[in-house]
Amino acid sequence: MRELLTAHGLTKDYPMNGETVHALRGVSLAIGAGEYVAIVGPSGCGKSTLLQLLGGIDTPSSGRVELDEIRLETLADRELTRLRLTRLGFVFQRFHLLPVLTAQENIELPMAEAGVRRAERRQRSMELLSYVGLADRAAHRATQLSGGEMQRVAIARALANRPAVILADEPTGELDVHTGQSILELFRRLVKDGTTLVVVTHDERLAAEAGRVIHMLDGQIQTPNAER
Amino acid sequence: MSGERGQTARIGDRALSSAFGPLTAYRLPLTAVRNLLRHRIRTALAIAGITVSTAMLLDMVLLAGGIERSFGRLLLGRGFQIRISPKGTLPFDTDATIPDATRVRRIVAADTAVVAVGPLLGTSLYLRMGDSLVTLFGYGVDPTAQANYQLESGQDLAPGDSSGVLLSRPVAERLGASAGDTVTLVSRLDPEAAVAGVERRLTVRGIVHWLYDYKGQPSVGALLPVMQDLARLRAADRVSALIVKVRRDKDADATAARLRTALPMLEVNSVAALVSRFRERLVYFRQLSYILGSISLIITVLLVSVLMTITVNERLGEIATLRAIGISRRSIVRDVMAEGTILTLVGGVLGVLLGAATARYLDRILTSFPGLPAAISFFVPESQSLALAGAVLLATGILAGVYPALVAARAAIAETLRAEAT
Repeated sequence: MRELLTAHGLTKDYPMNGETVHALRGVSLAIGAGEYVAIVGPSGCGKSTLLQLLGGIDTPSSGRVELDEIRLETLADRELTRLRLTRLGFVFQRFHLLPVLTAQENIELPMAEAGVRRAERRQRSMELLSYVGLADRAAHRATQLSGGEMQRVAIARALANRPAVILADEPTGELDVHTGQSILELFRRLVKDGTTLVVVTHDERLAAEAGRVIHMLDGQIQTPNAER
Repeated sequence: MSGERGQTARIGDRALSSAFGPLTAYRLPLTAVRNLLRHRIRTALAIAGITVSTAMLLDMVLLAGGIERSFGRLLLGRGFQIRISPKGTLPFDTDATIPDATRVRRIVAADTAVVAVGPLLGTSLYLRMGDSLVTLFGYGVDPTAQANYQLESGQDLAPGDSSGVLLSRPVAERLGASAGDTVTLVSRLDPEAAVAGVERRLTVRGIVHWLYDYKGQPSVGALLPVMQDLARLRAADRVSALIVKVRRDKDADATAARLRTALPMLEVNSVAALVSRFRERLVYFRQLSYILGSISLIITVLLVSVLMTITVNERLGEIATLRAIGISRRSIVRDVMAEGTILTLVGGVLGVLLGAATARYLDRILTSFPGLPAAISFFVPESQSLALAGAVLLATGILAGVYPALVAARAAIAETLRAEAT
């Protein structure tokens, strides 16, 4: 399997109340194209921080991240922003859709930023809404959608620019069991369709679906066979 | 979605290879307007504040140069660029008069740049109405060279028409007179000579608008000799002022200088010089206008800046998310500044309407002051000043959005998302 996303010796330290918090202590991993990886562990173990570093949202104190052999730390802010836009898709626990935009407009947003033409945006956003089962909610504002619907729109938004990897941080954390199940089924379809998926989760069902589970504790990976 | 992975990679690669090019402005007005509508009352209050400060700025701009422009237009309305008055006075500044007017007129007319010279006499007199006398202001004019009235109805005085008279609208309405009717003018009583006033029965030729009259002023006009008779100034051939038209506007100052040399006993001024002196008198007034206008601009800056900063701080999580999914700092800055610009534009347009309405209202009050020519306006719109004020306001609104836009652009993505998650 081709290695798509790799981390080498990642550390992340935060200053907090005059002391240094070591959120990550030398994490290395490799994620192959089309792989579904779940990162699990107790709160505060550093899994969300790891996801942010893998996604180029934050910079490591030391170590490096590579996406398709592009070393993220070598990119300027504009280049990194562009990479996040075109090669990575993000799904957040609290959905973070723009409340002033409709479901379809939220999906079009990253495409518009990437310079995709209007007609293409309209067509692809409708395709994505159909894919997540919300074609009939295209014209609804984000505030008019339920939690599960918002998360499905957020997943469609993450897919908008056909990213290499989807990074999801507690995607079912705000949803009830039934609604979480629909997200699980959606992820199952994404994986089946060949999407590379990295999910930080407390949800055992999501982790159980993953091809590989990485256990984290105190800023380090605990599963020996997860490290390469 | 099956089979899209190949396409995914291609589109991703293309976007990355053409990275950092110009981005689409697709979301600008849409998102900005909708964001402003999220807090309707707050936005409405901000727009109301900008409207009021814009109206104040507009009125101050109109007021700062308005009366000066209006004064210049009034004096130059009929193309006479020079005024000659008794030494040390401005026309109609005092009751002083110029003696031997015919000779002075000849001297002035002899200048090669001069194309017309008109005399003007102003005096108070009476109009007989039954048993009573009504006080009037009388103008002695030469209808072939005059710059102080416009015919409204009837006919102008013909040269040599010593039995004709022109009435102002207030006099005509008071008498119920129109062209063809006769009126009796009575000269002022001379308490020293203790002689009765001279009476002249004249025929109304037309109704005119006297350009320098205050609102409602009862005025009449007749040929200069007729009015000199009524004012008992004929013997000395006295006039209040002479107006001079030169061939080219640009020759006015040089001609005035030559006439000043030729007529050292008189005050000779070009209208440009008079406007300049008028401007000097109004310098404090203008400064006050500029200060108040600047205050209104500062208020606009503060309003937009405060509102946008509050809004941005409330939306930091949203902004961090946008940055996380790849929206550039430039787009974030552009969006925030678009909101500030839209606020300023909407407030600016409403402010112009409010400012125009208040200027008209205030102008009516100010121009109704006694003794002030009704043709003078305090608030005079001028396209250049208005365009400048508009540009300054817009620039102010845009600049006011800079700080909150920078706050938005500099939001630390990871920290903000962590804070949002807790």
